[in-house]
Amino acid sequence: MKKISKYFTNEDYQKKIIPFLSVLLGFIMGALIMLFSGYNPLEAYSALLKGAGFYGSIKRFGDTLLNMTTLIFTGLSVAFAFRTGLFNIGAAGQMLMGGFIAVYIGIIFDLPRIIHLPFAVISAGLAGALWASIPGILKAKFKVHEVVTTIMMNWIAYWSVYYFVPNYIPGNFDTESAVIKESASLRTDWLSSLFKGSYVNLGLFLSIIAVIIIWWILEKTTFGYELKAVGFNPNSAEYAGMKVNRNIVFSMMISGTLAGLAGAVYYLGYTNNIKIGELPTQGFDGIAVALLGLNNPIGIVFSSFLFGFMNAGKLFMSASTEVPKELIEIIIAVIIFFAAANLMIKGFLSKINKVIYRKEGEKNV
Amino acid sequence: MSKKTISLLLSLVFIFSIALTGCGNKEESEAVKVGMATDSGTIDDKSFNEGTWKGIVRYSEENEGAIEVRYLQPEGEQHTNYINAINDLIDTGHKIIVTPGYKFETAVNEAAANNEDIYFILIDGTTHSEDSFDFVKHDNTVCVLFNEHEAGFLAGVTAALSTKTNKLGFIGGMEVPAVQKFGWGYQAGVHYANKTYGTNAEIIDYIYQGTFNDAAAGQTLAAGMYDKGADIIFHAAGGTGLGVFSEAKQRAEKGEEVYVIGVDIDQYETGKISTGESVTLTSAVKGIDLAAYNYIDAALNGTFPGGEIVTLGLKENAVGIPEENPNLSEDVINKLEEVKQEVIDGNLVIPSTQEELDEFLNN
Repeated sequence: MKKISKYFTNEDYQKKIIPFLSVLLGFIMGALIMLFSGYNPLEAYSALLKGAGFYGSIKRFGDTLLNMTTLIFTGLSVAFAFRTGLFNIGAAGQMLMGGFIAVYIGIIFDLPRIIHLPFAVISAGLAGALWASIPGILKAKFKVHEVVTTIMMNWIAYWSVYYFVPNYIPGNFDTESAVIKESASLRTDWLSSLFKGSYVNLGLFLSIIAVIIIWWILEKTTFGYELKAVGFNPNSAEYAGMKVNRNIVFSMMISGTLAGLAGAVYYLGYTNNIKIGELPTQGFDGIAVALLGLNNPIGIVFSSFLFGFMNAGKLFMSASTEVPKELIEIIIAVIIFFAAANLMIKGFLSKINKVIYRKEGEKNV
Repeated sequence: MSKKTISLLLSLVFIFSIALTGCGNKEESEAVKVGMATDSGTIDDKSFNEGTWKGIVRYSEENEGAIEVRYLQPEGEQHTNYINAINDLIDTGHKIIVTPGYKFETAVNEAAANNEDIYFILIDGTTHSEDSFDFVKHDNTVCVLFNEHEAGFLAGVTAALSTKTNKLGFIGGMEVPAVQKFGWGYQAGVHYANKTYGTNAEIIDYIYQGTFNDAAAGQTLAAGMYDKGADIIFHAAGGTGLGVFSEAKQRAEKGEEVYVIGVDIDQYETGKISTGESVTLTSAVKGIDLAAYNYIDAALNGTFPGGEIVTLGLKENAVGIPEENPNLSEDVINKLEEVKQEVIDGNLVIPSTQEELDEFLNN
């Protein structure tokens, strides 16, 4: 009994189960909404799971992993900034710039795959870092709030790509680029045939590597410790002799690198060209992924899996049942709401604990 | 236990009891399932998607029990998103897939090759592979194109004949073939009216906003044009165009005399203001609904023109202006009839490319 009860009282343990409870509550709320609007939740949820490939089709599960790949990167990007006290809303723009550079390299250069692919991917990361360094520097030097600048940088990225694509790498239409060369594509035959034609690609492995590296930086290195310290309290970090301004720029750049890599895995794997007039929504979903994953690299793997499978399954759900897919958006919103309102759940947990504790007490008497 | 816990448990029990009873009464129907995937923008974009959907719904209403209809809005605008939406429809038993918009070209090309027993109706595009623009023929797919320039031409003539300030505007969505053709036709139409009917109209602003779903930007652009003295704006911008309507309606409510020319479907209702009048001068209509309707019918009755590219124009009565135009004078309507006849008879060829337009304007 002690083992269970520590999940209700100990802060650290509480933290870990809150996201799971949020998800559960989200689905329950969703079921209630479906019931009240006259749909069958069991049917809808099984369609959702089927659509995401939990059973039936391995290709669909591949699509879930494909969706998850990009979200891991954007989630890590936002979370890394969060951990170091920065709110990076510009992941979408950094991702777009990274993706543009990756696609540009994928189209213009003609190299053997072993050079071409890493070249495109690494350049995308650098482009993201560069794009994010601008708000970083503005914040460090002039105390301009990064929320404002990153949003603005999103639109600068949006319209820059809008201009660059038709002028430098035109495709069949003015609204999209040409298709990247095979040698720059993250898609591989063995993965696609393993997943029966899904576009799941090498980006998945890259994302797992990124999770490990970011976890290692944050938890195991002095550099990571410094970044976190600046996040907790810039004044005391400075007092302790840390270079606050330098660390702000660095953490924006690392966050930008991750977003840039998200662009690489999205535009070199999920798609194979870039379309204009679109700010990738994954950049914003990254905020929710990071929040639900408690800004923890391992947590982000779980939360991006959740978002990935809901994204993969929701269209199938609305195709096979009468339930509108907007309902999935409601469920996601409720999950995030509960994750954000974790104090409420904490109170709820301690109440449950009291109930259990009282009963045990009675027995002992 | 606290009240919260009890209520939570109760609701859980409630869910499962209802859910279980809900199972097992699925009815099997004979109806053929028809699915549509939307292009960028929503189903109620008052234009492209809505037009297609209207045609599908009209068919299901007029032929009760023949088809079961459903639409999906893809998650994004990438090839992968489109192919996933199409696959979701196919995997849930849809036999006829209608896709409006050139963005579906490569996705339909792939899906048509992999699903030979499914009918595809691709509106406003032709099937081709991702790396080449060459048409790929699929026996289960019909590609429908429209002569938008002919509708744009009539819009241009109408605008030139109706303007009081002699200043006109044009707002396009993205610079894609269908929108460009509307615009080229519009320019040609204004030029033609000036030459033939002695009007003196000029297009003072010709802008592509860049998206099909930014109503706010559409409104800002429209405000600028009206401020400069334009009194008629032709929009070929889907949802962005709704902003043009908002601006025109606000001004019309204050008594200004400004008009919008709608696009794709008859947008007279969209332009209505509180007095019951409408700011919609006319609309450059494209018979998207007709195309969806006709080819669903063809697929069900075994006359599906698979593998063909069909081009519909004024001659087929698939583009043009609406039957009813309360805001147009008798004189304008008569002149439009003349022009229309000229085009149908082949005496007047409307430019459908930039080069043809340049030539047309120089004559």
